[in-house]
Amino acid sequence: MKTATRRRVVSVAASLAALAALGVLLFPLYAVIVASFEQNSQLFGASHYSFWPPAFTLSNYRVVLAQQGSHVLSSLIVGLGTALLTLAVAVPAAHALARYRFRVTALLVGGLLIAQILPSIVIANTLFLVYHRLHLLNSYPGLIIADGSYAIPFGILVLRAFMLGLPKDVLNAARVDGATEWRAFTQIVLPMSRSAVITVALFAFLNGWGDFIFALTLLNGNTFEPVTLSIYTYIGEFSQNWGEAMALAVFAVLPAAVLLIAAQRYIAAGLTVGSVKG
Amino acid sequence: MTQETARARQPVQQARRPGGTRTAAQQARLRQAARWVFLLPALAYVLFAFAIPVVYNLVLSFEQTSLATISHLTAPLAGLSNYTTTLRNPVAQSAIVRTFSFTLLSLLFQFLIGFALALLFNLKFPLRRFARSLILVPWLLPLLVTGVIFKFLFQLQAGAVNQILLDLHLIHQPVGFEVSPGWAYLTVLITNIWIGVPFFTVLLYSALQDVPVELVEAARIDGAGAWQRLTRVTLPIIRPVIEVVFVLGFVFTVKVFDVVIGLTNGGPANSTQLIATWAYNLSFQEFDYGAGAALNTVLLVIALVAAPLYIWLNRDSLSGGSA
Repeated sequence: MKTATRRRVVSVAASLAALAALGVLLFPLYAVIVASFEQNSQLFGASHYSFWPPAFTLSNYRVVLAQQGSHVLSSLIVGLGTALLTLAVAVPAAHALARYRFRVTALLVGGLLIAQILPSIVIANTLFLVYHRLHLLNSYPGLIIADGSYAIPFGILVLRAFMLGLPKDVLNAARVDGATEWRAFTQIVLPMSRSAVITVALFAFLNGWGDFIFALTLLNGNTFEPVTLSIYTYIGEFSQNWGEAMALAVFAVLPAAVLLIAAQRYIAAGLTVGSVKG
Repeated sequence: MTQETARARQPVQQARRPGGTRTAAQQARLRQAARWVFLLPALAYVLFAFAIPVVYNLVLSFEQTSLATISHLTAPLAGLSNYTTTLRNPVAQSAIVRTFSFTLLSLLFQFLIGFALALLFNLKFPLRRFARSLILVPWLLPLLVTGVIFKFLFQLQAGAVNQILLDLHLIHQPVGFEVSPGWAYLTVLITNIWIGVPFFTVLLYSALQDVPVELVEAARIDGAGAWQRLTRVTLPIIRPVIEVVFVLGFVFTVKVFDVVIGLTNGGPANSTQLIATWAYNLSFQEFDYGAGAALNTVLLVIALVAAPLYIWLNRDSLSGGSA
C-alpha cells in the first residue's frame, strides 16, 4: 500500500514538473502566435506586454500572405532541393561505404566526421569568392549546394550505419543470381533502408529551410530570398514591425511543427543518431 | 574482419570459375568501377564544399584582399599581417574569449537542465510520451527565427520577459536587456541554452533507458541512497553517451552564428560578438576577406580540437564494409 501511494505521488509530481518544463520551453512559441494576431502598436513601445491579444487582428497575416508568399516558396524550393541533393549524393555513397571495402574507407569516414565539424562561416567565406567567379551567387543551385554541407556528411554516416545493419545474405543471394550492382542497390538496399532515407531527407529539408548563414552570404536579395533572410530584413529595415515579423515567423516554424506531428518517429531517430545542426 | 582476409578471399572466388576467365576478369573490373561510381558524387561534393573551402580559406588568410581583388583568383601575398592585425584588435580578442566562456556556460547548463529533464522523463507518469515529443520543438526551429523570437521576448518596453519579472515582483523597473552589454550576453546565452536542452535531454534520456534496472535495484537493496545510485551506478554507465553529447555540443556551440545575428547582431558595442560573427563582419561588412579568413582559421583550429575526440568516439565506424 505504502509503495503504491508513493508511486502515485511521484507520478503526479513528475507530471506537474513536466508541465512546468514544457511551459517554459514552449512559452516563446505561444508568445509568437499571440503576437502574430496583434497590432504593432501593442507590440513595440507599448506600456506593457499582454499575454492575450487585446484585440485580435488578421492584418499581419494579410500583409504577410500578400508580400511574403514568394519567400515561403523560395524556402520550399531550397528545402526540397537540399533534400534531393542530399539523397542523390548520400544514398549511393552510403551504400558503397557499407557494402564494399575500399582502401580509403577509414580516410573517407574520418573526413566526413571532420566535415561535420567545419564551421559554416568558414565555408561561406570562401564559397562567396568561388561562387563570384563561377556566377553561382544569387542562384538556387549555388545555395542548395552550400546548404547540403550540413546534411550530406550527416546523411552518408547515418545511412551507412543503417545499411551496415542490413542482412548480408539477401544481397549476396542477389549477387549470385547475377543481379547487377545497380539492381541490387535499387531493388534491395533502397527499399530496406526506407526509414533511414526518410530521416535523412527530413533533416536535409529542415536544414535547407532553416538555413540563414548561406542565404545571408551567398544572396543579395535581388533575385530571391528565403523566409529566414526575409525575417532578418524585417526586423532591421522596417524598424521592428513585430506583428508582421511574428506572423512570418509562424510560417517559418510551420514545417518543423508539421513534421514533428506527422513524422515524429523519424525525427527522434535522426536526433538520437547524432549531430544534425549546422 | 581484416583487410588480409578480404584480400585472401579474392583469388579463391576467381579460382572457382574455371574457363571464361576473360569475361570474369572483365566483370570484376566492371564491378570495381561500379563501386566507385556510387562514391563519385560524394567525393566531388566533399572536394567542392569542404576541401577546397578549407584550403582556399588558408590561402586567403595570407593574402592582401579587398573588394577589388574578388574578381581574381589570387591576391598579393600579405604574410602574417592578416593574423597580426586581426588578433591585435580588441574586438577580436574579446570575441575569442567570449566564444570560450559562451561555449563552456552553454554546455554546462544544457547538460544540467537536459539531464534533470532526462531523469524526469525516466520516471513513469501519464504525460511523458506527449511531453517527450513536444520538448523537441526548440531544436527543430530555424536558428535565426529563434534568435528573432527571443529578441522580441527580451524587449525593453512591452517585452514578455520584463513583464513576467515585473509581475513576479522580481524587478521594479524593466531591464534594458538589449542596451546593456552584460544583459545582452546573458540573453544570447539563455537563448542558446534553450535551443540545446532538447538535444541533451533526448540523448541522455535514451542512454538512461539502456541502464539495466536490476543494477539500480541491486544498489538500492544494498542500501544505496538516490544520490549514490545516481553518481555510483547510473552516471558511470551512461558516461560514454555523456562524452558524445559534450563533444557534439562543443562542435555546435563554438560556431554559433544565427542566434547572435538574430538576437543582438553582435551588439551593443560589439559586446556579443563571437568568433563566427566577427569573422562575418570582417569579410562581409568590411570586405576584408583576408582578415575574415584569418579569424576563420582560428575558429577552425578551435573547432578541430574536437576532431580527434569525435573520431575516437566514432572509431567503430571507421572500419567495415561487407564485401
